[in-house]
Amino acid sequence: MIDVKNIYKKFGHLEVLKGVSCKIEKGEKIVIIGPSGSGKSTLLRCMNLLEKPTYGEVWLEGSLLTPIDPYLHFDVIRKSKTYGMLLEKYKSENPDADEEKADAEIIAEIKKNDLLKKREGKAYRQAIEALYKENHVNINAVRQKMGMVFQQFNLFPHLTVMQNITLAPTKLKKIPAEQAQEKALALLRKIGLEDKANVYPSTLSGGQKQRIAIVRALAMEPDVMLFDEPTSALDPEMVGEVLKVMIDLAKEGMTMVVVTHEMGFAKEVATKVLFMDDGVIKEANEPKEFFANPQDPRLKDFLSKVL
Amino acid sequence: MGIILFIGVFMSLESLRIRWERFWDTIVQPTFYNRVLLGLRNTLIIAFVGFLIGFLLGAILSIFKLLPQDKKSSKVFGTISNIYVAIFRGTPIVVQLLVAYYFLLPLFGITASGMSVSVVIFGLNSAAYMCEILRGGILSVDNGQMEAGRSLGFNYLQTMFRIVLPQAIKNILPTLGNELITLVKETSVVSFVGAVDLFTAFQFIGSSNYEYMIPYLMMAVIYIVMVVILTVVIRLIERRLRASDRR
Ligand SMILES: Nc1ncnc2c1ncn2[C@@H]1O[C@H](COP(=O)(O)OP(=O)(O)O)[C@@H](O)[C@H]1O
Ligand SMILES: [Mg+2]
Repeated sequence: MIDVKNIYKKFGHLEVLKGVSCKIEKGEKIVIIGPSGSGKSTLLRCMNLLEKPTYGEVWLEGSLLTPIDPYLHFDVIRKSKTYGMLLEKYKSENPDADEEKADAEIIAEIKKNDLLKKREGKAYRQAIEALYKENHVNINAVRQKMGMVFQQFNLFPHLTVMQNITLAPTKLKKIPAEQAQEKALALLRKIGLEDKANVYPSTLSGGQKQRIAIVRALAMEPDVMLFDEPTSALDPEMVGEVLKVMIDLAKEGMTMVVVTHEMGFAKEVATKVLFMDDGVIKEANEPKEFFANPQDPRLKDFLSKVL
Repeated sequence: MGIILFIGVFMSLESLRIRWERFWDTIVQPTFYNRVLLGLRNTLIIAFVGFLIGFLLGAILSIFKLLPQDKKSSKVFGTISNIYVAIFRGTPIVVQLLVAYYFLLPLFGITASGMSVSVVIFGLNSAAYMCEILRGGILSVDNGQMEAGRSLGFNYLQTMFRIVLPQAIKNILPTLGNELITLVKETSVVSFVGAVDLFTAFQFIGSSNYEYMIPYLMMAVIYIVMVVILTVVIRLIERRLRASDRR
């Protein structure tokens, strides 16, 4: 469903993601753990393009969300001027070298020195454009299918709970107001907050706010839900009520990507746990093996501190 | 000594009374009080319509400045906005009125009254200030609001208008009120392009009998009364809006 291909993310000189790839299949529940500052949020935010990856591509159900990264499409590189020049040079130096080896070495050199930043020919530009046109989709349409829940809830304070939930379905999906409200009420009933429909968010507790933020995202009927430390800003006694909503959601079969420090949740719900450290995924495994038999030394260290 | 002082005060009070009567005799005549009413009307029209134009244009200009900087076109819009603000904040409004009325109108062969020129110039001038006020207001709204809107599938402008701006406006309401009051007071310069406002109305009264003291005093009183009324109304609106936070 989501295919993250070799993404890098730089903020100025700070490189936060250093080549991350992961595939998330329909129905999977991926939990991402790791020390603070390791790039977990940035990875999650690259998935729905709240951050734009510096290199690499993100795909959702066969559609490209980012620009083309030529280093993921060697046939495009072969259309560049740089490649042509290097190939000629290579052939003149090694007249009897075999084609495949030449190709591999030239691409490796272009990649190593990032040579494609120089001006390239028309053929190269056309190849990139064609590939992009064929695959890319409008990001606003895609985001309707990807719900996101933030650490700080980010409910809209100037709207009531009901308006928070129905705003996107009525304006973006053009669902009639009454129908959207019925749906919202049904969702609120499920989390036991039906009576809060007409209050403003400022009157709610943190746990209530976060559950409503989840409902707001669900009202768009997304295919996948992204959670960025949804319980980290909560008082301890409210963590449980939010986790319960998330566990129920997982049981209903929702595809989920969750950044969290709740190891219990990871053990109970995850189909795969990823350990991020220093901008890369250091370890990925199904939860039992992940926690019982960690391989990476940094992960062992991390688990010994949090468990 | 005390008696002299008493006589002095008495005499000046006496002269005040005479001046007041002269003023009163003038203002009760339709030619004169109609002029005052017209001036009052014009003052309010210039200030309120100018405010409205300024607000709408200012909102557009401030969004130009805050467009996400990932497209070349955003930079162009940002520059347009910067130049606009530099021009309209960098020159006194009187100068803008004069340039518009005596230079631009003849240049383009347009005929327009001093009144309509004043309304437009007050709107354009106010837009430069509103742009900065609104920009501050937009920046005061937590970035998480924009991100939440975008993550639901709204595009940048939809999120801006539906989610960020309403909160920004609430935050800057006191400053907007100030701007309106400033506009009301500044209208006193539109006589430079021949528009009738409170100043010209009272000057007209004064010049009819060479008695300016009371007319100008009354003009001041009218300005104060307008500003006080506006202040109260703005307070009420603010309180209404803040109340919705705690419902
Ligand atoms: N918008 C940004 N601008 C600059 N630096 C950022 C930005 N967002 C995140 N970072 C930096 O990137 C690093 C990783 O951040 P983040 O992905 O939030 O880590 P995590 O979620 O794992 O704690 C941190 O050092 C953080 O300071
Ligand atoms: Mg984080």
